[in-house]
Amino acid sequence: MAWERRGGNLYYYRCEREGGRVRKRYVGTGEAAELIAHADAALRLAREQRAAREGAELERLEALCAPLEELSEAAGVLARAQLVASGYRRRKGEWRRARA
Amino acid sequence: MPEPEPGALEPSEETRKRLDELRAVSDKAEAGDREARRELRRLVRSSSPEVIGRASDIGRRAGRMLAKTAAGGDPLTEETLYAKLDAMRAEIAGENPTPLEVLLTERIVSLWMLTALLEVLVSAQYRKTLSDGTKRSSPSYLLQQSRILEGATRRYLAAIRELARVRKLQAGAPPVQVNAQVNILSRDSL
Repeated sequence: MAWERRGGNLYYYRCEREGGRVRKRYVGTGEAAELIAHADAALRLAREQRAAREGAELERLEALCAPLEELSEAAGVLARAQLVASGYRRRKGEWRRARA
Repeated sequence: MPEPEPGALEPSEETRKRLDELRAVSDKAEAGDREARRELRRLVRSSSPEVIGRASDIGRRAGRMLAKTAAGGDPLTEETLYAKLDAMRAEIAGENPTPLEVLLTERIVSLWMLTALLEVLVSAQYRKTLSDGTKRSSPSYLLQQSRILEGATRRYLAAIRELARVRKLQAGAPPVQVNAQVNILSRDSL
Protein backbone atom coordinates (compact mmCIF):
# COMPACT_ATOMS: atom_id res chain seq x y z
CA MET A 1 0.00 0.00 0.00
CA ALA A 2 1.37 3.42 -0.86
CA TRP A 3 0.59 7.04 -1.31
CA GLU A 4 1.89 8.67 -4.47
CA ARG A 5 2.27 12.37 -5.02
CA ARG A 6 1.42 13.74 -8.46
CA GLY A 7 1.04 17.42 -9.27
CA GLY A 8 0.72 18.37 -5.59
CA ASN A 9 -2.03 15.76 -4.87
CA LEU A 10 -1.75 12.49 -2.95
CA TYR A 11 -3.20 9.33 -4.46
CA TYR A 12 -3.61 6.08 -2.58
CA TYR A 13 -2.75 2.76 -4.27
CA ARG A 14 -2.96 -0.84 -3.14
CA CYS A 15 -0.52 -3.52 -4.23
CA GLU A 16 -2.37 -6.75 -4.93
CA ARG A 17 -1.10 -10.14 -5.96
CA GLU A 18 -2.89 -11.72 -8.91
CA GLY A 19 -1.79 -15.04 -10.34
CA GLY A 20 1.75 -14.68 -9.01
CA ARG A 21 2.12 -11.10 -10.25
CA VAL A 22 1.95 -7.97 -8.14
CA ARG A 23 -0.41 -5.30 -9.49
CA LYS A 24 -0.81 -1.74 -8.32
CA ARG A 25 -4.46 -0.73 -8.06
CA TYR A 26 -5.65 2.84 -7.68
CA VAL A 27 -7.96 3.34 -4.68
CA GLY A 28 -8.61 7.05 -4.43
CA THR A 29 -7.62 10.38 -2.99
CA GLY A 30 -8.73 12.73 -0.22
CA GLU A 31 -10.46 11.81 3.06
CA ALA A 32 -12.07 8.65 1.72
CA ALA A 33 -8.67 7.33 0.66
CA GLU A 34 -7.24 8.20 4.08
CA LEU A 35 -9.98 6.21 5.81
CA ILE A 36 -9.34 3.24 3.53
CA ALA A 37 -5.57 3.55 4.16
CA HIS A 38 -6.17 3.49 7.93
CA ALA A 39 -8.38 0.41 7.57
CA ASP A 40 -5.73 -1.29 5.42
CA ALA A 41 -3.03 -0.50 8.01
CA ALA A 42 -5.20 -1.96 10.81
CA LEU A 43 -5.80 -5.12 8.79
CA ARG A 44 -2.09 -5.42 8.01
CA LEU A 45 -1.22 -5.04 11.68
CA ALA A 46 -3.80 -7.70 12.65
CA ARG A 47 -2.35 -10.09 10.05
CA GLU A 48 1.18 -9.48 11.32
CA GLN A 49 0.09 -10.03 14.91
CA ARG A 50 -1.69 -13.25 13.97
CA ALA A 51 1.39 -14.48 12.07
CA ALA A 52 3.60 -13.71 15.08
CA ARG A 53 1.16 -15.46 17.45
CA GLU A 54 0.92 -18.51 15.20
CA GLY A 55 4.70 -18.62 14.73
CA ALA A 56 5.22 -18.60 18.51
CA GLU A 57 2.55 -21.31 18.94
CA LEU A 58 4.21 -23.53 16.33
CA GLU A 59 7.54 -23.09 18.09
CA ARG A 60 5.90 -24.21 21.36
CA LEU A 61 4.43 -27.28 19.65
CA GLU A 62 7.78 -28.19 18.14
CA ALA A 63 9.40 -27.76 21.55
CA LEU A 64 6.87 -30.25 22.96
CA CYS A 65 7.77 -32.78 20.25
CA ALA A 66 11.56 -32.36 20.33
CA PRO A 67 12.37 -34.46 23.44
CA LEU A 68 10.24 -37.32 22.13
CA GLU A 69 11.95 -37.22 18.76
CA GLU A 70 15.27 -37.67 20.53
CA LEU A 71 13.80 -40.40 22.73
CA SER A 72 12.40 -42.19 19.68
CA GLU A 73 15.75 -42.06 17.96
CA ALA A 74 17.60 -43.33 21.03
CA ALA A 75 15.08 -46.15 21.53
CA GLY A 76 15.40 -47.10 17.87
CA VAL A 77 19.20 -47.28 18.10
CA LEU A 78 19.08 -49.37 21.29
CA ALA A 79 16.40 -51.77 19.98
CA ARG A 80 18.35 -52.28 16.77
CA ALA A 81 21.65 -52.81 18.63
CA GLN A 82 20.01 -55.43 20.82
CA LEU A 83 18.43 -57.27 17.88
CA VAL A 84 21.66 -57.23 15.85
CA ALA A 85 23.62 -58.40 18.89
CA SER A 86 21.07 -61.21 19.29
CA GLY A 87 21.84 -62.41 15.78
CA TYR A 88 19.24 -60.66 13.64
CA ARG A 89 19.64 -58.42 10.64
CA ARG A 90 17.29 -56.60 8.35
CA ARG A 91 16.65 -57.96 4.90
CA LYS A 92 14.40 -55.96 2.57
CA GLY A 93 12.92 -54.17 5.57
CA GLU A 94 12.24 -57.35 7.55
CA TRP A 95 14.23 -58.66 10.47
CA ARG A 96 15.59 -62.16 9.94
CA ARG A 97 17.93 -64.38 11.86
CA ALA A 98 21.45 -63.90 10.44
CA ARG A 99 23.32 -67.01 9.32
CA ALA A 100 25.94 -68.11 11.82
CA MET B 1 3.66 -24.44 29.43
CA PRO B 2 5.78 -25.58 32.37
CA GLU B 3 9.49 -25.16 31.81
CA PRO B 4 11.51 -28.31 32.49
CA GLU B 5 14.89 -28.05 34.16
CA PRO B 6 17.59 -27.22 31.61
CA GLY B 7 18.84 -30.45 30.06
CA ALA B 8 16.24 -32.60 31.85
CA LEU B 9 14.67 -33.66 28.57
CA GLU B 10 17.85 -34.03 26.55
CA PRO B 11 20.35 -36.86 26.47
CA SER B 12 23.74 -35.90 27.87
CA GLU B 13 26.77 -35.62 25.60
CA GLU B 14 28.02 -38.93 27.00
CA THR B 15 24.70 -40.64 26.15
CA ARG B 16 24.76 -39.22 22.63
CA LYS B 17 28.32 -40.47 22.19
CA ARG B 18 27.36 -43.98 23.27
CA LEU B 19 24.33 -43.96 21.00
CA ASP B 20 26.54 -42.93 18.08
CA GLU B 21 28.92 -45.74 18.95
CA LEU B 22 26.09 -48.31 19.13
CA ARG B 23 24.71 -47.06 15.82
CA ALA B 24 28.10 -47.29 14.09
CA VAL B 25 28.90 -50.78 15.38
CA SER B 26 25.35 -52.00 14.56
CA ASP B 27 25.86 -50.80 10.97
CA LYS B 28 29.07 -52.84 10.67
CA ALA B 29 27.61 -55.90 12.35
CA GLU B 30 24.52 -55.82 10.16
CA ALA B 31 26.76 -55.62 7.11
CA GLY B 32 28.22 -58.98 8.14
CA ASP B 33 31.34 -57.95 10.10
CA ARG B 34 31.71 -60.73 12.71
CA GLU B 35 34.22 -58.81 14.78
CA ALA B 36 31.74 -55.92 14.91
CA ARG B 37 29.01 -58.29 16.10
CA ARG B 38 31.23 -59.44 18.98
CA GLU B 39 32.03 -55.81 19.76
CA LEU B 40 28.30 -54.97 19.63
CA ARG B 41 27.50 -57.75 22.13
CA ARG B 42 30.12 -56.29 24.45
CA LEU B 43 28.72 -52.78 24.01
CA VAL B 44 25.13 -53.96 24.57
CA ARG B 45 26.23 -55.61 27.81
CA SER B 46 28.42 -52.78 29.05
CA SER B 47 27.17 -49.55 27.59
CA SER B 48 23.50 -49.85 26.74
CA PRO B 49 22.14 -50.43 30.28
CA GLU B 50 23.10 -46.95 31.36
CA VAL B 51 21.89 -45.42 28.10
CA ILE B 52 18.57 -47.31 28.37
CA GLY B 53 18.17 -46.07 31.94
CA ARG B 54 18.83 -42.47 31.00
CA ALA B 55 16.58 -42.58 27.96
CA SER B 56 13.77 -44.12 30.05
CA ASP B 57 14.12 -41.30 32.58
CA ILE B 58 13.89 -38.72 29.81
CA GLY B 59 10.80 -40.45 28.41
CA ARG B 60 9.13 -40.48 31.80
CA ARG B 61 9.92 -36.81 32.42
CA ALA B 62 8.66 -35.88 28.95
CA GLY B 63 5.40 -37.77 29.51
CA ARG B 64 4.81 -35.98 32.80
CA MET B 65 5.64 -32.60 31.32
CA LEU B 66 3.11 -33.23 28.53
CA ALA B 67 0.46 -34.32 31.05
CA LYS B 68 1.09 -31.12 33.01
CA THR B 69 0.73 -29.07 29.82
CA ALA B 70 -2.48 -30.90 28.85
CA ALA B 71 -3.94 -30.34 32.33
CA GLY B 72 -3.55 -26.58 31.91
CA GLY B 73 -3.02 -26.00 35.63
CA ASP B 74 -5.98 -28.09 36.83
CA PRO B 75 -4.57 -30.38 39.57
CA LEU B 76 -7.35 -32.97 39.27
CA THR B 77 -6.83 -33.36 35.52
CA GLU B 78 -3.08 -33.51 36.08
CA GLU B 79 -3.38 -36.32 38.64
CA THR B 80 -5.88 -38.16 36.42
CA LEU B 81 -3.46 -38.01 33.49
CA TYR B 82 -0.54 -39.20 35.66
CA ALA B 83 -2.69 -42.14 36.78
CA LYS B 84 -3.65 -42.86 33.17
CA LEU B 85 0.04 -42.85 32.14
CA ASP B 86 0.94 -45.16 35.04
CA ALA B 87 -1.87 -47.56 34.10
CA MET B 88 -0.77 -47.56 30.45
CA ARG B 89 2.84 -48.23 31.50
CA ALA B 90 1.83 -51.19 33.63
CA GLU B 91 -0.45 -52.62 30.95
CA ILE B 92 1.99 -52.25 28.06
CA ALA B 93 5.17 -53.29 29.86
CA GLY B 94 3.52 -56.33 31.44
CA GLU B 95 5.17 -58.41 34.14
CA ASN B 96 8.95 -58.51 34.45
CA PRO B 97 9.73 -56.34 31.41
CA THR B 98 13.33 -56.18 30.18
CA PRO B 99 14.99 -52.74 30.44
CA LEU B 100 14.58 -52.32 26.68
CA GLU B 101 10.86 -53.10 26.98
CA VAL B 102 10.63 -50.49 29.75
CA LEU B 103 12.23 -47.92 27.46
CA LEU B 104 10.02 -48.82 24.49
CA THR B 105 6.97 -48.70 26.77
CA GLU B 106 8.00 -45.26 28.04
CA ARG B 107 8.32 -44.12 24.45
CA ILE B 108 4.81 -45.38 23.56
CA VAL B 109 3.23 -43.81 26.64
CA SER B 110 4.89 -40.42 26.10
CA LEU B 111 3.99 -40.39 22.42
CA TRP B 112 0.38 -41.30 23.25
CA MET B 113 0.26 -38.28 25.58
CA LEU B 114 1.79 -36.08 22.88
CA THR B 115 -0.64 -37.17 20.15
CA ALA B 116 -3.63 -36.80 22.50
CA LEU B 117 -2.51 -33.28 23.42
CA LEU B 118 -1.86 -32.29 19.80
CA GLU B 119 -5.23 -33.66 18.69
CA VAL B 120 -7.00 -31.47 21.24
CA LEU B 121 -4.98 -28.42 20.18
CA VAL B 122 -5.58 -29.01 16.48
CA SER B 123 -9.31 -29.64 16.85
CA ALA B 124 -9.65 -26.42 18.89
CA GLN B 125 -8.30 -24.48 15.90
CA TYR B 126 -11.15 -25.65 13.67
CA ARG B 127 -13.76 -23.86 15.74
CA LYS B 128 -15.04 -20.72 14.06
CA THR B 129 -14.01 -18.48 16.91
CA LEU B 130 -11.54 -19.43 19.59
CA SER B 131 -12.40 -19.14 23.27
CA ASP B 132 -10.36 -15.93 23.66
CA GLY B 133 -12.45 -14.24 20.97
CA THR B 134 -9.82 -14.35 18.23
CA LYS B 135 -10.78 -15.49 14.76
CA ARG B 136 -9.92 -18.86 13.27
CA SER B 137 -6.26 -19.48 12.48
CA SER B 138 -4.71 -19.09 9.04
CA PRO B 139 -4.73 -22.08 6.64
CA SER B 140 -0.91 -22.23 6.62
CA TYR B 141 -0.88 -22.46 10.42
CA LEU B 142 -3.51 -25.22 10.41
CA LEU B 143 -1.48 -27.09 7.80
CA GLN B 144 1.75 -26.81 9.82
CA GLN B 145 -0.05 -27.88 12.98
CA SER B 146 -1.56 -30.88 11.21
CA ARG B 147 1.90 -31.85 9.94
CA ILE B 148 3.25 -31.81 13.50
CA LEU B 149 0.34 -34.01 14.61
CA GLU B 150 0.89 -36.35 11.65
CA GLY B 151 4.59 -36.73 12.56
CA ALA B 152 3.76 -37.48 16.19
CA THR B 153 1.11 -40.05 15.19
CA ARG B 154 3.57 -41.72 12.83
CA ARG B 155 6.19 -41.97 15.58
CA TYR B 156 3.57 -43.29 18.02
CA LEU B 157 2.52 -46.09 15.66
CA ALA B 158 6.17 -46.89 14.86
CA ALA B 159 6.88 -47.13 18.61
CA ILE B 160 4.09 -49.70 19.05
CA ARG B 161 5.38 -51.71 16.08
CA GLU B 162 8.93 -51.63 17.46
CA LEU B 163 7.95 -52.99 20.87
CA ALA B 164 5.92 -55.77 19.23
CA ARG B 165 8.85 -56.62 16.94
CA VAL B 166 11.40 -56.68 19.77
CA ARG B 167 9.14 -58.96 21.84
CA LYS B 168 8.46 -61.29 18.94
CA LEU B 169 12.10 -61.57 17.83
CA GLN B 170 13.58 -61.76 21.30
CA ALA B 171 11.22 -64.58 22.19
CA GLY B 172 13.13 -66.74 19.72
CA ALA B 173 16.64 -65.35 20.22
CA PRO B 174 19.42 -66.36 22.60
CA PRO B 175 19.37 -63.77 25.38
CA VAL B 176 21.89 -60.95 25.59
CA GLN B 177 22.17 -60.19 29.26
CA VAL B 178 21.39 -56.54 29.95
CA ASN B 179 21.17 -55.25 33.46
CA ALA B 180 19.90 -51.73 33.65
CA GLN B 181 18.90 -49.56 36.49
CA VAL B 182 15.89 -47.53 35.49
CA ASN B 183 15.28 -44.75 37.93
CA ILE B 184 11.62 -44.25 38.59
CA LEU B 185 11.28 -40.61 39.53
CA SER B 186 8.93 -39.60 42.22
CA ARG B 187 6.38 -36.94 41.41
CA ASP B 188 7.96 -34.58 43.88
CA SER B 189 11.28 -34.69 42.06
CA LEU B 190 9.78 -33.26 38.87
